[in-house]
Amino acid sequence: MAHGFFTDTTLCIGCKACEVACKQWNELPADGYEFTGDSYDNTGGLHGTTWRHVEFIESMPDAPGAPPTLNRWVMMSDVCKHCTHAGCLEACPTGAIIRNEFDDVFIQPDICNGCGYCVPSCPFGVVELIEHQVIQPRFASDGRTNDNALQTRGGVAGKCTLCYDRQKLGLVPACAKACPTESIQFGEIEELKERARKRVETLQERGVSASLYGVDEKTSVGDLNAFFLLTGPPSAYNLPERPVLPSTRQPAGYASAAVAALALALAGWTILRRGDT
Amino acid sequence: MNELRALSPDASGSGAASGNGVLAPLPDTYYNRPLLKKPHWEWEVISYLFLGGVMGGSGIIVALTDDRKDPDLARSARYLAFALAATCPLILIKHLGRPERFHHMLRVVKFRSAMSMGVWGLIAFSLPAGLGALGQASRDGLLPRWIASLAPRAITDLLSALFGAFIGGYTGVLLSSTAIPVWGIGKRHIPSFSVCSGVASACAANALILALSGGSERSMKKVERFEFVASIAELAILLHFERHAGTLGAPMFGGARGARLRRYTQIGGIAVPALLSLLPLHGRWKTALSSLLTLHGGYVLRETLIEGGKGSSEDPRAASRQPE
Repeated sequence: MAHGFFTDTTLCIGCKACEVACKQWNELPADGYEFTGDSYDNTGGLHGTTWRHVEFIESMPDAPGAPPTLNRWVMMSDVCKHCTHAGCLEACPTGAIIRNEFDDVFIQPDICNGCGYCVPSCPFGVVELIEHQVIQPRFASDGRTNDNALQTRGGVAGKCTLCYDRQKLGLVPACAKACPTESIQFGEIEELKERARKRVETLQERGVSASLYGVDEKTSVGDLNAFFLLTGPPSAYNLPERPVLPSTRQPAGYASAAVAALALALAGWTILRRGDT
Repeated sequence: MNELRALSPDASGSGAASGNGVLAPLPDTYYNRPLLKKPHWEWEVISYLFLGGVMGGSGIIVALTDDRKDPDLARSARYLAFALAATCPLILIKHLGRPERFHHMLRVVKFRSAMSMGVWGLIAFSLPAGLGALGQASRDGLLPRWIASLAPRAITDLLSALFGAFIGGYTGVLLSSTAIPVWGIGKRHIPSFSVCSGVASACAANALILALSGGSERSMKKVERFEFVASIAELAILLHFERHAGTLGAPMFGGARGARLRRYTQIGGIAVPALLSLLPLHGRWKTALSSLLTLHGGYVLRETLIEGGKGSSEDPRAASRQPE
């Protein structure tokens, strides 16, 4: 049975409880002290060790003299999309990235060898290699630093597991559990989609032009197991307007390489075999 | 209700008029932050793309050369293909985040993963290349005579060429089947110019070996002529790619990186060696010089490809509408 997230951005209050709950449950290291200056967002994006990211999209009134406009401050909790046709999963040469029994895309950390091919193969820019330096030693109960499982995560690709471990125990993923406004909803995917479609209708009746992202869209990545309700263009949320499954370009690539190789082989044959003048 | 409407967001982002004012449209990027993640690939992968091209190209040269007419060229191509087949896997293993797990690549065969295909292609190439080099060594008197009879030359040469051509092209497929815009828009160009550049670099490498080892001048000239054809094809595809990619091509062809590509690959690595080959100049020093220029140009091309891809990943507008 496919399980996933419905993230309703109209309910997000930007509390970052999801980010923190995710870090805590998955024992992920802190992001450091970077200050971006971009609204309340000092996380910046999803990273190898940051699997939920709360965006703060501020829209300020334009130039002086323009008609009076109302500020908008939109928040969204971003996450791995767990695509039906996942670029990272197709790219992975070790079989470390699998689709698990909940239909979610999962990186087996003990199989991944850190080739890094999944990183540029994700059309949503989610997967990232976890650098060794990012991994901080944790304090053991006796106060000394401790060489635990976190240390072994270095050098491999990291992203949201959709709390595979919690799902196995019948628990709701940490971010959804922590969300105080039900902006992040976890459940059976078809049920979530039904709920989301109704929510869009309700919002549209109230004059909000809401739309779903990652549901019923004819893209090569297919429906997303973590989909979103947006109130603006996807690019405002750092989501691609038109995601493309990268491997769909392979037939054209192999064909053009074959044509080039064949043409060169013919030329080479003529030159090297018959070129004695 | 009017107030509610005034506060409610507008999906088109164009700003909706209402009683109290106009709702500000959402920006078209998220603070211009990258939408995509860039690969961590550094000099190891750049070198592999370059050396893999030389390796695959040498495999092709092996099969196209007649041992009776050009024994020096056949010998140099066989040894070079084998030497690189032994080196390249080490470079690739070095670039892994967890090198001690390199053998996890051998758990699966995945046709949809260009990297998995590449791993198996590399293994498939190294067998005939290794056997071919062993046979060559035995014919050269470095190994016992019976070794040459282990694998028939006709078969190892043909397989070297087939898998060599695959090695030359798959790296381009690997790059273009990612979400990086400048690589994606080059789904036809990058694989084909990778093959051409690989063959041109292989010709240059073998010509250089012949020039330095006192090999046959006639063979040297022939392989330089082959290099001429391959590099002109490479240049033509590159120029067409630049036009085809349009603004998406800027990270590769614009600015300092583009200037470097023009200076060292298109002019220094292709046009100058081509002109040198047309001029009535002779001598090993000329071959050595033009070969070095071609090889350097080939490396700069691969470097531009990788670094340009990283630059392209930083452009959220390009990444938002991904090429088909």
